[in-house]
Amino acid sequence: MRSEVVYRRFLLSALLLAAPLILVQVAMAQDVSRLERIATLIRENKTIEAERQLALLLRSKPNEPVALNLMGTIRAKQGRLNEAETLFVRAVVNDPRYSGARMNLAYLHLQKREPAKAVVQLKQVLGADPTNTEVMVMLGDAYLATNSFAEAEEQFLSALDGRLDNAGALLGLAQISRAKGEIKETTIYLTRVGTLLADSKSPELLYKFGLLALQVGMSDAAKAALENALKVRPNDPAYLLGYGIAWLRKGDLFEAEKVFRRLIQLQPNSDPAQIHLGYVLLNQKKYDEARLWLEKSARSASPMPEVFYYLGLVAQEQNDDAKAISLFEKAVQKLPNYAHARIALGSSYIKLRNYPRAKEELETAVKLDPEEPTAHYNLALLYARLKDPARAQEEMRIVEKLKAKGAGNDGVVVLPPNPNPR
Amino acid sequence: MKSVVFLLALVASVVFEEVSPQTSKITWVHNNAQSVDRQLPETVGAGCAFLDYDNDGWMDVYFVNSGPSDFYTPPTPLKNALYRNNGDGTFTDVTDKAGVAGGRFGMGVAAADFDADGFVDIYITNYGPNILYRNNGNGTFTDVTEKAGVASSGWSTCATWFDLDNDGKLDLFVSSFVFYDKSQNPLCTDATLQRRYYCVPRLFKPTPSRLYRNNGNGAFTDVSRESGIADHPGKSFGAVATDVNNDGLMDLFVANDTMPNFLFVNKGGGKFEEVGLAAGVAYGEAGRPRSGMGVDAADYDGDGWQDLFVANIDHEFFSLYHNDKELIFTDQPGEIAPSTQLLSGWGLKFFDYDNDGDPDLFLVNGHPDDMIESRIPRVKHREPLLLFENTGRGFKDVSATSGSVFGKVFSGRGMAVGDFDNDGDSDVLASNNGEPPLLLRNQGGNKNNWVGLELVAKKSNSAAVGAVITWQAGTMRRTRLRTGGGSYLSSHDPREILGVGTATKIDSVQIRWPSGTTDRLTNVPLNKYIKVVEGVGQAR
Repeated sequence: MRSEVVYRRFLLSALLLAAPLILVQVAMAQDVSRLERIATLIRENKTIEAERQLALLLRSKPNEPVALNLMGTIRAKQGRLNEAETLFVRAVVNDPRYSGARMNLAYLHLQKREPAKAVVQLKQVLGADPTNTEVMVMLGDAYLATNSFAEAEEQFLSALDGRLDNAGALLGLAQISRAKGEIKETTIYLTRVGTLLADSKSPELLYKFGLLALQVGMSDAAKAALENALKVRPNDPAYLLGYGIAWLRKGDLFEAEKVFRRLIQLQPNSDPAQIHLGYVLLNQKKYDEARLWLEKSARSASPMPEVFYYLGLVAQEQNDDAKAISLFEKAVQKLPNYAHARIALGSSYIKLRNYPRAKEELETAVKLDPEEPTAHYNLALLYARLKDPARAQEEMRIVEKLKAKGAGNDGVVVLPPNPNPR
Repeated sequence: MKSVVFLLALVASVVFEEVSPQTSKITWVHNNAQSVDRQLPETVGAGCAFLDYDNDGWMDVYFVNSGPSDFYTPPTPLKNALYRNNGDGTFTDVTDKAGVAGGRFGMGVAAADFDADGFVDIYITNYGPNILYRNNGNGTFTDVTEKAGVASSGWSTCATWFDLDNDGKLDLFVSSFVFYDKSQNPLCTDATLQRRYYCVPRLFKPTPSRLYRNNGNGAFTDVSRESGIADHPGKSFGAVATDVNNDGLMDLFVANDTMPNFLFVNKGGGKFEEVGLAAGVAYGEAGRPRSGMGVDAADYDGDGWQDLFVANIDHEFFSLYHNDKELIFTDQPGEIAPSTQLLSGWGLKFFDYDNDGDPDLFLVNGHPDDMIESRIPRVKHREPLLLFENTGRGFKDVSATSGSVFGKVFSGRGMAVGDFDNDGDSDVLASNNGEPPLLLRNQGGNKNNWVGLELVAKKSNSAAVGAVITWQAGTMRRTRLRTGGGSYLSSHDPREILGVGTATKIDSVQIRWPSGTTDRLTNVPLNKYIKVVEGVGQAR
């Protein structure tokens, strides 16, 4: 399922950007009309016929660059990425000035999370076409993926050329600001991008924007963008995940649950889908079903620490504190600085009336996250039980102060981490 | 799907049937005095009661209405209402004859025989001074508020009769809500609505509740300060008197709106200690206070310890606090939580609707903000009733199979439980904000066997609050503590129906009265109400 998704995304991207270039090359080829027909077949998803015709052509002209590029596109579409790469490379070797094949190769490298290789190809394309702003943005993205912020910024600024109308470039600048922790700047860039994308049909841009907007708390903008992206690709699991998270950020558990259920239908074994559905059910106190999905997620190859924390909360709510403790311990083993798991441990020890252990865990939690009101509330509860009302009140005053500052979550349970934009 | 629901309805043995005003002749309608200014008291009321004011053995009903206040002048006079139960399923309005019309901006009602003369009296809480009506024993009442000294001031909500010091006299706890007058109504609105909505209580200052000790001479002494109650200003709604630590002294659990709830533990000597935080009943999980409204107490799991329930506002979930002993509680709402996620609960009561011997739970709901639907998705102003059956392993939502009334929505507030048709199962009376009340007849609860007790105290307080009733039928042994108050702004049938399921013989019933006297009954008749006199046993 995963490779199918990658392939669909890749194909659309490849055809979108590379199609005009392909056609130019086709125009230069001797068998123009034949290659044009094949390109059309690919665009129309008639890949079997396209592949048959290409195979015939390549039998007579095995190094024809356009044919190799088109066959590479078909292979990519089929999820046979290594074969696709070989074909694109052969096209480039046979025609080093063939920008279309280089662009496809760059896409493929980005998809395979090999941005440095993409940079090499894109620099070549830009060398041949120095004013192509789309290539600049793509090169900026590739640099960004290698954490080369200065180079990325240079490309994005070049693409903008003083005008604030290139959503991709602005989004790139927003990503750089976000990576540097400059939230205000990120928000300014994103606000502008949001305006530019109002009528956008580019699901990739909308998706990227959506996830970034989520990270800086622009939940409404994120939700709208992801909703639009889903109009183009209704069954894209990554989009659905982002969209569900946007609903979560808006505090609408019902809508979030609907989206995650759709995602689970598409990808029953997806770890993020399971953990998010489990999370949303846990927050609605639908413990039995929450446990079901979370346990599935816990059985994945490398479960997130959050899943043990959530399962611990389910056990805690179902009055099985011994089990809860063992699950929180697992979460802490995986992530020793996991303040919420420490708080939950403290809370379970309070329930078991093991006050010394509760104090130990809660004090550790406060050291890890002094701004988390739940830790202070549990300490207040502990001191009240230990008949130390003065300290209990002191902790409650901290809780009030933190809540007035807007610290902590409305609910108790922290969200799973955001996915990274791909 | 519809057919499945229909089939389930067919197999459900107990349903609650709406008794129409045409049948009951109860035509009174609550007027909430709603104004464009959206004054907060408009949305909070009002309560209702089951009481037998004329001692004819049939439960009469009482409703509280709005009335004149500093922010409201009714265009025509508004009245509370007392309806006499005619014993044939109809009621007659006797308000004027009885002289219990109220005439203030009413909130709640608490009925009890405060002077132990054998006739039930009525205490009305108001936004403004409260009223105590003494029952003259001849179908009329006299306003004795001034003499009794229980007018209180400010904005009172729930009133709870109980015996704070086990001296055999009924004392009175009066919940006090926020400090409010018409000048205290801030502008709560938003750009979308361009109209005012009801402000959240968070914006108002808390006030201390009142505790009045019954002097036994028709007057009360305000002991709020010396008891420690006044040390804890709150925004109090529901209150229930119960014994959470089994020390024989009645404690008070009080729900607060947007503030931590109070658990006042009775330390004896007329003193109370507030232990809500340590007990784990004050706050939500993250230390955030919730919007507590209705409350009740019962030992739902039969472990001998009183558990507590609080209804909160939407998205806060309702709390079922299991008593873990040593004054420690754990919130374990189970199936109640997801069912109440979007609801705001007010009147509620633990009672055994199917006479199988264990306490079930009935709730009436409704959002206080009539414009909530334009502000919060899926939250409705008018909300459904809920019924949870105690399965022995928790509570199961059986609303969908318990009658068509559960498919309707109301602006529910008060709720009282009582057997108005004397058929041996508990019926429900609900009062709705700005709407007609709802009388629900329990159909089928009496398919299981039962015995009804009318407790007549001699040394103990007249309402027998604090009495512990234990009954045995074959292998089934149940215990029930008689609590005071509970629900929201409302007052209940004072009789106790003891369900025994399918058992055909009740081996024994034991009543341990608050005075310490114990009466043990054998040869208890099935499916009848009996009178039990303290120190005497079953009356002949």
